[in-house]
Amino acid sequence: MQAPAGTAAIVYIFTSTECPISNRYAPEVRRLVDTFASQGVRFRLVYPDPADTPDAIREHVASFAYGERTEAFRDPEHALVKLAHATVTPEAAVFVNGRLLYHGRIDDRVVDLGVERPAPTVHDLGDALTAILAGRPVAHAETQAVGCYIADFKPWKQ
Amino acid sequence: MKFVVASILVVSVAAAADGLAQEPTYARDIAPLAADRCTMCHHAGGSAPFGLTTYSDVKRHATQIAQVTRARLMPPWKADPADGPFVGQHPLTDAEIALIDRWVTGGEAEGNISDAPRVQRWPDGWQLGTPDLVVSIPTPYTLQASGTDVFRIFVIPLPVDRTRFVRGLEFRPGNARVVHHANIRLDRTPASRQLDDADPGPGYSGLMLRSAQYPDGHFLGWTPGQIAPLVPKGLAWRLDPHTDLVVEIHMQPSGKDESVQPSIGLYFSDEPPTATPAMLRLGRQNIDIPAGTSRYTVTDSYVLPVDVDVEAVQPHAHYRARDVRGTATLPDGSTRTLIHIRDWDFRWQHVYRYVEPFALPKGTTLAMEYTYDNSTSNVRNPEHPPKRARWGQRSSDEMGDLWVQVLPRSEDDLVKLVRDFRPKVAAEDAIGCEMEIERHPSDGALHDDAAMLYLELSRFEDAIRHFRAALALKPDSAVAHYNVGTALTLARRLDEAAQEYQAALRIDPDYPKAHNNLASIWLSQQKYDDAIREFEIVVRLQPDSISALENLAAAYAAAGQPDRAAEIRARRDTLLRQKRPPE
Repeated sequence: MQAPAGTAAIVYIFTSTECPISNRYAPEVRRLVDTFASQGVRFRLVYPDPADTPDAIREHVASFAYGERTEAFRDPEHALVKLAHATVTPEAAVFVNGRLLYHGRIDDRVVDLGVERPAPTVHDLGDALTAILAGRPVAHAETQAVGCYIADFKPWKQ
Repeated sequence: MKFVVASILVVSVAAAADGLAQEPTYARDIAPLAADRCTMCHHAGGSAPFGLTTYSDVKRHATQIAQVTRARLMPPWKADPADGPFVGQHPLTDAEIALIDRWVTGGEAEGNISDAPRVQRWPDGWQLGTPDLVVSIPTPYTLQASGTDVFRIFVIPLPVDRTRFVRGLEFRPGNARVVHHANIRLDRTPASRQLDDADPGPGYSGLMLRSAQYPDGHFLGWTPGQIAPLVPKGLAWRLDPHTDLVVEIHMQPSGKDESVQPSIGLYFSDEPPTATPAMLRLGRQNIDIPAGTSRYTVTDSYVLPVDVDVEAVQPHAHYRARDVRGTATLPDGSTRTLIHIRDWDFRWQHVYRYVEPFALPKGTTLAMEYTYDNSTSNVRNPEHPPKRARWGQRSSDEMGDLWVQVLPRSEDDLVKLVRDFRPKVAAEDAIGCEMEIERHPSDGALHDDAAMLYLELSRFEDAIRHFRAALALKPDSAVAHYNVGTALTLARRLDEAAQEYQAALRIDPDYPKAHNNLASIWLSQQKYDDAIREFEIVVRLQPDSISALENLAAAYAAAGQPDRAAEIRARRDTLLRQKRPPE
């Protein structure tokens, strides 16, 4: 949780190289980075699937054009997963000075597996970051994300 | 067929009961289910986003599998299986779903892998064998990374040098990750190709034209995991030279730019068909759903004038439809549900093909009843907040059609059915066309479409109104004047018609059809000199036309000049001899 000087918040985005739901969120994550990185928010991609090798992650970051402002972390032991109470990919967790101020969905576009809105009506992660940067409390500090289950990403004997 | 379904159930329950005694394992319980219901799409290179052919594959998605099978999202099968059986129908039974759930909650044991069925090899190439003709789009289409679903129409010329008969068509998405389904039609006119040419980049964005049609009563299209089998030779459809495939592809952005280059393989037969099915389209185009309405119903029906066999059905609606149902009520009062989808999902546009086509006698009423939810409680509603939704082809508009493919018993019955059914479709299309014109009042092609439909329906005044609207948009067009003239002629308003043909000829003095129709009016009004003058011009412009000479001869005969008429007929006979192929 060491944050470089000038960091207002750290956002962890739990993702996976082959989860189509989190992959479809890549442009929205990039948009959030564009909006908030200049205000001191750092974005980190977290790959909890042990099957996502460092090479696969590098390739994934490049092909989805996350760019250099978004660091990537492997989390095969699920240490960050536990810290952030993450259950699916994609899921966001926002830490400020080591405190978890928001975790859950990026927005409400995906309602359930197989059920999507054409466009989100609530931008939970963006709203949380706006509140944090303004020094206000986060209105909904916990939401239910929908996506690929991190429970499926546990190590197994080959 | 009920018997077959019941026996499958018994087997499954028995398997599940076995499983109760011992913990389910991947090898014994899950792998056979995956092989039977999942891997046709979920294999490397298949249409699904990941494979499910090995223990590690399945384990890597176990929680998700339990969830989507419980919710009956997977395998994707929206229709009530009791109304089939349908080709390709492979739903899981409740017992099988419970078994998967117990395997996942119980620790996902692998078991003795030698119990698992051998992993099937999925051919990389064409599933229906080597095609006789493969076509593709010349350059790939680039699908943007983000945004809502994209619909793009690609027009692909079919290079055949003679008439062929087509037994089937296999669509390969080119990028299975993003291609969700394909609607395929044929255009025998250059109209679709012109739209594609006018749009930069491969394909065009917009609507399928009315000239893009299903061939001879056959469905064409593709959804993941569905490849329509080849039809028997006797049912092949006719493909003439100069025909274009019109392929509308529904794509879902993946999060990164994707390259999409679909290809299509065609399978030919040299024999003409011995039977031709008919495509019946129930459905309304007066759909107008107020914003916020949570239950809006669309119904339609049609009484069969001949005996038929029902081969397949395809419901079509957009995002607001929720419950979709088709029924047949026989003359004896008994009913059969053709299809029932209780949770309509626009993304699964299957053609539901009956394993065993069934007979419906003359006098049977085919009916559809679709309900729509245009409130916020329908999360798929494309408008937020909800807006009034009217009929239209765009996915933000709404539709409600039930296509029913039937096979009449004889050529005579086919003709009788098509004649009886066609006015119903034309009347409905006219309503839809009026709706499109309201949206695009200065689209002359739409006015022409509407006018042609009204001509077909013998509603001449409506046809005149639309041809006049097209003319107002293009006052310098000889064709537009000619069109108004034709409709006026059919309405027996001959003086006004003559004025329009004369206006067309002032713009284009060498317009044979305008001269010809004008001459016909003069002839009917016994203005023989005028008629002969005009028919002479037609003959001069079209010296090879048999009918032009016949018309001219008839005019001379009517004018009391039999010698001149005989002379013209002799010219016609000479021309006929020249045209006749050598013995």
